[in-house]
Amino acid sequence: MIKIENLHKSFGSLDVLKGISTTINDGEVVAIIGPSGSGKSTFLRCINLLETPTSGNIWINDQDITNKKTDIMKVRENVGMVFQHFHLFPHKTVLENLTYAPMKVKGKSRQEAEKKGLQLLEQVGLAAKANEYPNRLSGGQKQRVAIARALAMEPDFMLFDEPTSALDPEMVKEVLDVMKSLAHTGMTMAIVTHEMGFAREVADRVLFLDGGNLVEDAPPSQFFSNPVTNRAKDFLQKML
Amino acid sequence: MTLDFTSILPSLPFILKGILVTLQIVLLAGVIGFILGIILSLFKISSIKVLGVIADIYTSIFRGTPLVLQLMIIYFGSPQIFGYQIEPVTAAVAAFALNSAAYISEIIRAGIQAVDKGQSEAAMALGVPYRPMMLNIILPQAMKNILPALMNEFITLTKESAIVTTIGVMDIMRRAYIIGADKFRFIEPLLLAGLIYYIMVITLTFLGKLVERRMKRSD
Repeated sequence: MIKIENLHKSFGSLDVLKGISTTINDGEVVAIIGPSGSGKSTFLRCINLLETPTSGNIWINDQDITNKKTDIMKVRENVGMVFQHFHLFPHKTVLENLTYAPMKVKGKSRQEAEKKGLQLLEQVGLAAKANEYPNRLSGGQKQRVAIARALAMEPDFMLFDEPTSALDPEMVKEVLDVMKSLAHTGMTMAIVTHEMGFAREVADRVLFLDGGNLVEDAPPSQFFSNPVTNRAKDFLQKML
Repeated sequence: MTLDFTSILPSLPFILKGILVTLQIVLLAGVIGFILGIILSLFKISSIKVLGVIADIYTSIFRGTPLVLQLMIIYFGSPQIFGYQIEPVTAAVAAFALNSAAYISEIIRAGIQAVDKGQSEAAMALGVPYRPMMLNIILPQAMKNILPALMNEFITLTKESAIVTTIGVMDIMRRAYIIGADKFRFIEPLLLAGLIYYIMVITLTFLGKLVERRMKRSD
């Protein structure tokens, strides 16, 4: 479970997050949507401390990760992240991308890590690419590898920061399909996305952020058909 | 002017022996300078401000004064600094290592900072600690940016090593000069020395291209 309480983040004098509180339960898929600059990505990046919150608390499995004594690295091992621009390690093969952190951080043997890595590549439909370098892959393939890389650490939570925004339209589906099947396995997921159809279909809850505030927090059926605030109505009108 | 290389032919082995001396200085100084340069560059990109300042001052001093001055301070100053006279070769290695560390640290810093920030974020998000992240993820990629400039630095080092002749190290340069003085023919031995340096530099350039090509595998 991820519990967020009164989360604030400022960059200099710019207040990006203005006190966000919410809870993401185990097995829940949460879509985070909102206009550009609303703080969606910053919110997500606070959850694995790629951004340090200015104030507020975040508990992951009852551990307060904003506490200075918390081992951030241990927290991150358990929270996978997928980036908009993939950030695969270009000097490592696809399989090495998947085995590096489990071997280095978790101390797995090469054999063990490779077995798990190949199994994950199978799962995202890229087993044949195991020994290719990332630059030989299409955008959609790269993102599927990136998802597999995060999963290789066997995290309890997965964060997705606009995973399909940098993809050509015809590659969006293959990535969303992988995420959909991941959601069906019961993975707890927080997804910053502009894919409204996906959010509506897969998410259990939609968080609508605007201007650094959590404006709406509702199941997709309710949010998409009956948004409460004018801001959300306005946003949805432009998106759909 | 007539060139007569036959007259210095008997002295050829004497001059060629200088290659070992020059290589010894260049290799040792290169390796030590490279390691020191990495450390300094890590200081420069460190979040601990005071380390960055120390590294910047270091670089500024060693880039801002003549190499031959640094060499002489270390060699002729050693009795006052350490209480005993150090060997010329030791002084040469020390001066070149310290000097090239300053240049190399700048090359590495720029190379590291040119690596996409997303790479360190991806590593951090996987729970990879700073040291392995630097060693396994950032530096290997930075090497691609660093290598051409680094090769340049090693080439400069090889050529500039000739100034160790001023503190009496028996390198290629000094040996050529000694033969010249001995035979009253300077052009031939000096041209020969030039040829040796040139071949060394060409070899380095070739090696650099080879390594560069190998690193481009993943492109």
